[in-house]
Amino acid sequence: MEIHTKINEKLQDKVLHENLRNFAIAYKVSKQNAYQGLDFEALRTKVHDLKDRDLNKVMQQFNQFRENVERHGCKVYQAKTGEDACRYIADVMKNHNSKFMVKSKSMTSEEIRLNDYLEKEGLHPIETDLGEWILQIAKEHPSHMVMPAIHKTRQQVAKIFSDYTGEDVDPEDIKAMVEIARRFLREEYFKAGVGMTGANVAVVSTGTIGLVTNEGNARLTSTVPPVHIVLVGYEKLCDNFEQALDIVRVLPKSATGQIITSYTTWIKGRNPSFKSEDGVKETHYVFLDNGRLAFLEHPKFKEALKCIRCGSCANICPAYEMVGGHVYGDRYIGSIGLILTALYQGDEAAKDILKMCIGCRACSFNCPSGIDLQSLISELKLVVGKKYGINPIKKKVFKNVVAKPNTMKSLLHIGANFQFPLTKINKLNNEKIIGKVPMLPKEMDFRKFPALASKTFTKRFYKEGYDQFFASRKVFFYPGCAVEYFYPEMGLAMVELLQKSGVQVDIPSKATCCGIPAIASGDPENAKKMIFNTLDCLNNKEDYEALLVLCPTCGGAIKHEFLDFSKEDPTRYKKASQLGTKVSAFGKFLEENKIKFRVKGNQKITYHTPCHDSRSLAYSAENFLASVLGKQFVPLIDSNVCCGFGGTYSLDFASISNGILDKKIENIEATNANILVTDCPGCVMQINGGLMHKNIAVKVLHLTEFIENYLEVID
Amino acid sequence: MILNNNAFEFLAFLLVKAVPEKLNNIQFSNNPPMILLDHFLQKSALVGNENRLMKASEFKQELAKKNFEYIHTPSFELIKDIRVGEGGISSALVEADFAIGETGTVVLDSSNENKRLATCLAEKLYVIVPLSKLVDSLHDVAGFLEMKTSGMGGYVAFITGSSRTADIERVLTVGVHGPKEMILYILTDL
Repeated sequence: MEIHTKINEKLQDKVLHENLRNFAIAYKVSKQNAYQGLDFEALRTKVHDLKDRDLNKVMQQFNQFRENVERHGCKVYQAKTGEDACRYIADVMKNHNSKFMVKSKSMTSEEIRLNDYLEKEGLHPIETDLGEWILQIAKEHPSHMVMPAIHKTRQQVAKIFSDYTGEDVDPEDIKAMVEIARRFLREEYFKAGVGMTGANVAVVSTGTIGLVTNEGNARLTSTVPPVHIVLVGYEKLCDNFEQALDIVRVLPKSATGQIITSYTTWIKGRNPSFKSEDGVKETHYVFLDNGRLAFLEHPKFKEALKCIRCGSCANICPAYEMVGGHVYGDRYIGSIGLILTALYQGDEAAKDILKMCIGCRACSFNCPSGIDLQSLISELKLVVGKKYGINPIKKKVFKNVVAKPNTMKSLLHIGANFQFPLTKINKLNNEKIIGKVPMLPKEMDFRKFPALASKTFTKRFYKEGYDQFFASRKVFFYPGCAVEYFYPEMGLAMVELLQKSGVQVDIPSKATCCGIPAIASGDPENAKKMIFNTLDCLNNKEDYEALLVLCPTCGGAIKHEFLDFSKEDPTRYKKASQLGTKVSAFGKFLEENKIKFRVKGNQKITYHTPCHDSRSLAYSAENFLASVLGKQFVPLIDSNVCCGFGGTYSLDFASISNGILDKKIENIEATNANILVTDCPGCVMQINGGLMHKNIAVKVLHLTEFIENYLEVID
Repeated sequence: MILNNNAFEFLAFLLVKAVPEKLNNIQFSNNPPMILLDHFLQKSALVGNENRLMKASEFKQELAKKNFEYIHTPSFELIKDIRVGEGGISSALVEADFAIGETGTVVLDSSNENKRLATCLAEKLYVIVPLSKLVDSLHDVAGFLEMKTSGMGGYVAFITGSSRTADIERVLTVGVHGPKEMILYILTDL
C-alpha cells in the first residue's frame, strides 16, 4: 500500500489517535518522575559507552558467554539469518515432539517473523505477553515495542476475546479480560513442551541472561516447560552485572516511566526442571546475526546497535504520535524502527518510511543509550535519496534554483512583484498573506501562507543604511532564506537593537541557503552545493563576537551538517569548524551580554521553543522571557515539542504536519495568551499560518520583533 | 567441600561487600526510620505493596495466625514444600536475600524450582525482608548475582510488586499471570 494511503488510514483512526495522545501526555510525566534525582545525561552516557564496541570485542564477548554456558551442557547456535534461527527453533520443538511453545515478548522474534515460520511448519507458538497475545489472536503485529496493542480499545479486545473463547465478555471490564488471559494462558504454560524468551541483557562474565517484564510471563515461560530457548541479538551482550544493571536502571524508566518493572529475572543455564526426563532444564541460546554484525564496523550505523529496545524514541516522536507503529516503523518501531528497517531489511523496505521523520531531534535527546537517532535517519535519507531519487520537482528546484543563489534571488524577486493578484491582507492581524494558493491540494490547506516580502532583507539592509554603522564590537549575521525572502523585518529588528547597543552587524555578500531543505529531502549533491555556497560567503573574521542566526535550523546546520559535508575539503572544513563555535541564537547573545529589558504594556505572552533552538543550539528563550515578563508570561505546555513545520515536510506530509500543529494550537489556546513568541521563522510560518487559518486572534512574533515592539532596554 | 567453600564465600561477601557501612551503626528500635528504609518503603508503596514493619517476635505471632500454603524462610528455619501446579495456590511466604532501596525491590534466589513455581503462581506473595539485608542501589547486588549464577544453573528474581499489565488501554491491572498482591514483612531487628 502506498505510504500516504496508510498514513491517511491511520489519521482517520480515532481510537489510535486518542490512545497515543493520552499515552504521550502520561509518559512524559511518569518518565520525569522515574528519573527524579538522577542525572539522565550521566546514565545514558554510561549505557552508550558500555555499548560502544567493535565486532572483535563483541565476538570476544560472545565466545566467553558461549564457553560459560556450553561448559554446563547448554547449546549455543549462531544464526546467520532469520530463517536459520527459525529453523533451529522449529527443530528443537520437533525433536521434543512439542507442538506448543510458550513465548514471552521478544522483538527479535518479530524481526525474524518466527511465528509465521512455525505456523507454516504446523507448530504453535503462543504469545504470553497480554498485548502480544491479543494481537496474535487478532492476527496483527505490534504497533509499539513495549505496548504492542496500544492501538486497541477495550471494546475491540473484548470482541477479540469473545470470538476466541466463545465466552461472553463484558466490553467495559478490563479486569475481567485480564482474568480471561490469566486463565487461558495458565493452561498453555503447562501444555507447552518448550518455552522461549528473548533477553534484555546477556551477561558475559557468567553466561546469565536478564529479562525485564511486568507480567511475570517470562518467569513462567522459563520455568514450567522442560526446554528453554533464548533468542538474542549479539548486541545484547555486556561484560558483567555492573553493566547489565546500568541498562536495567534506565530501561523501564525510559520504556514506561516505571522506576523498575515488577520482575527483573536473571537466568543462568540449566536449572532444575521436574518436567525434564533427567530433572534438569535443556537450554538453547540462539544468537542472531541477521545483518547486525556487519554494522558493528560501520562508523555511524554501529550506533544503532546500542539500542536497548525501550521504545522511548516512539513515545516522544510527534510524527509517531500521529500515525502509530504500523506505519511509523516496520518490525521495529519509532525512530530506531526506521533505522533498523534500513539496516536489517534493506533500504528498499525503508525508503518511504524514513521520510516520515520530521527531524525535530527529540528522540536523539531522549534515547537512554545516547544514540543520535535523528542524525542516523538523516544519513539514511541521503543514502536512499541518492539511490532511489527524490521527488523530481523538488530535485529540480534544489538544483536549478536553491543551489544557485543568483537564480533564486531573481526568481523570488519576480515572484514578489507578480504575486499581487494572489495576496490579500489578513484582517485579524493585518499581515499580508497569499489569499488562495492555486491548485493547492486539500490536505495542504491547513494554514495561511505568508506573502513574499516586496524587498529582501539584504536589499533593505543596504538601502536603509544599516551597513553604514561601524563599531569596535562586531557580529556576523546569517539571515537564511526565511528572513531574506519572507520576514526581513525580523532581521532588521535585530540589527536595530544591536546597533542601539553599540554592536556592528555584518551580513553575507550573497543570500544563500544553508542546505537543510536538501538534506531533509535526501539530496546530498545539492545540499553540498548549498553548503559550500553559504560557507564561501560567511565572513570569518576573528573579531566577530558571534555568528548570529534567527533561524536555529540554519544555525544547527552550520554547527553540525556543515562539518559532515566539508569533510573532504580541509579548507572549508576548518572554516566550518571555526564558524560552528561562534554560532549563537540571538536570545542567547542578549543574555550573555547582559542586556536588560523591561516590558511595555500588559499583554499575556507565551513561548514556543523551536526544536533546533533547544536541540541544535542548546538554547531556549523561555527563561529569558519568564524573567523579563514576570507574571505576564504563561508557560506553554510541551513548549519544546515540534510545531509540525519541518520545512518541505509540511507539504510532503501535510496531514501529519497539520495534526502536530493542531496539538500545538490547542496548547497555545489553553494559555489564554494574546502573543506567542518564538525564535524560528519556520515555526512562525507554521504556527501563525495555522492560527490565521483557524481565525484565532493570537499574535505570533519572532523574538526580535517582540523585543522591538514590547520591550525596552534598561540602561 | 565445594558447598562449604561457596557458603563461606557467600558469608564473607555478605559481611564485606553487600552491607553498606551505614547499616552497621544503626539502631532501629527507637530511632526514626533511616533514609534508606524510607526510600525502600516509598518505592515499594508506589507499586502497591503492603509494607509491614515489625520485630521478629511480632512476626512469629503473625505467622501463627496465617496459613501459608508454601513457606521458604531460612531465617526462621521454616519450610513447607510443595510443588505448585496449574491451579496455583492462595499464598506463599518466602524470605528476601536482599532488598534494594533505590527501587523498592526484593531479591530472591529462585534456583529452587518449587520456590520459583510458588512465587510465580501464588495469588498473594508474602516476603520477609530482614532489615539487615536492605541495600542502597541495584549495583549493591551485582556481586550476589555473579555468585548465584556462575555455576551450572541459577535463577535470581528481582520482584517489585505484583504481576501487572497495562496492555489494554494502558489501564493498570494486577495479577495477569502471577500474584495479585504482595505483602512485605520488614523485620527491623533481623
